[in-house]
Amino acid sequence: MVMESQAHMRSRFETIWSEHRLQVLAYCLRRISGADAEDACAETFLVVWRRLDETPPPPKTLPWIYGIARRVLSNQNRAFHRRGRLHERLTYLGVSPSYDPVDFVVQGADDRRVAEAVNRLKPTDREIVRLDAWEDLTREEISEVMGMTRAAVDQRIHRAYERLSRVLAPTISPIHSPPVPEKGGT
Amino acid sequence: MTHDQVRQLVRRINPIPDPSVLGTVDVAVPVFERSKDMQVDERPVAGQRRDRRGRGPMIGIAAAAVVLIVGVIYTYTNTNREPVAAPAPSAIELPGEFQPIVPGAYFADTDGNEETATRGTFVIEGSGWQSLEAGVLRDTPEGVDNGLYVGLMVVEVDKVWEAPCDGGASAPAGTTAKTLGDQFAAMPEFVTREALTPVSAFGHDGYHLGLSVPGGCTDGETVWTGGAWGERNYQAEGQIVEYWFLDVDGTTVMVEATRPPESIEEDVAAELVADLDTLLDTLVITP
Repeated sequence: MVMESQAHMRSRFETIWSEHRLQVLAYCLRRISGADAEDACAETFLVVWRRLDETPPPPKTLPWIYGIARRVLSNQNRAFHRRGRLHERLTYLGVSPSYDPVDFVVQGADDRRVAEAVNRLKPTDREIVRLDAWEDLTREEISEVMGMTRAAVDQRIHRAYERLSRVLAPTISPIHSPPVPEKGGT
Repeated sequence: MTHDQVRQLVRRINPIPDPSVLGTVDVAVPVFERSKDMQVDERPVAGQRRDRRGRGPMIGIAAAAVVLIVGVIYTYTNTNREPVAAPAPSAIELPGEFQPIVPGAYFADTDGNEETATRGTFVIEGSGWQSLEAGVLRDTPEGVDNGLYVGLMVVEVDKVWEAPCDGGASAPAGTTAKTLGDQFAAMPEFVTREALTPVSAFGHDGYHLGLSVPGGCTDGETVWTGGAWGERNYQAEGQIVEYWFLDVDGTTVMVEATRPPESIEEDVAAELVADLDTLLDTLVITP
């Protein structure tokens, strides 16, 4: 019976791993540099394994894992902050010890303004905007990741996009391109 | 500009628009530790684990060091904010945001990371206190929005906004007590009540700064972030905020004590302020 249970757990984990590995890695790579993102992804799935009993079935699995990844990244950021003196020294020497992943996709002044405006949002609002625009999560899924009510997510998204609109509208022309894609899967 | 148009602009700076392009990336696969539920030979996924050699022994050494240092800290006397009595050893972790707490000894984890030991420990004596993400709050029926509350936070700061009331950018927090204190002292809109001054407080050397909150900075403007998910803004013009920036064995910890504006009648605020002072008298920060 024990072996059967272990085999079942292993099978379930492998299914979760194969279905969501790339999405979770992408989530991490969107927020921190490559090597750290790999670590964070591995750490996230380690937590998933340890909490396999609590892992909800689809379609709630991925938002639940994003919630874990978010906390793993938060801990990594704090650890990085504690290495601040090394960071400052490397920066002084002209060596970049880390980078913002957004830098690789910014093309021109408009993108730079958007990136800066997003970075100026409150951390919680920024994460909600990213989950909406980058991970394409529904409002319900975002509330799962953030541990907030749906109403709170709606309010924060509205407020964040209002703020971005106020900041960006005077200097950037809106994109008149394809309609917003259907949400639900990356 | 509509919200959908803004969303399109944000989508354009998505570093990984399509996760499937990562299909060939050799992801570091976790190799699982021994667990009560699984034999090592039952590892579910084969792969390479990023080298974490030495982590276990380091944690052990750090824990031993903490035990020694805690003993030293509790006997340390300081000149500005000397703890009246060492908090009870049975201090418990704060229960989470806006949870009512009963009198007793509590600790705030300064970085929200259970693997690090730095914490601020204090004793709550009166009633009406609630826990925050990295501290405590006592408010009134008039509510937090009027600034009629007192609060204490003990945190490691991540970012400081350079001109928080004017949409300024954030900057990484200074990594020493002095550089962090300089960042706060340089915030242009805040009113300086007490200039940045070297002090010894809560068992550690550092700097003290007294500010008050300006008008036009009470609409959710983030001033600093840090601790466990903490992002700090203020609610009312004239709120009095005291900061201590401390070097806790190489870790820079900030203590923030918030008091009601002076414009609020003294007898209304007096009890709150007295309770906060009682609380500050018991605060000890341990590495």
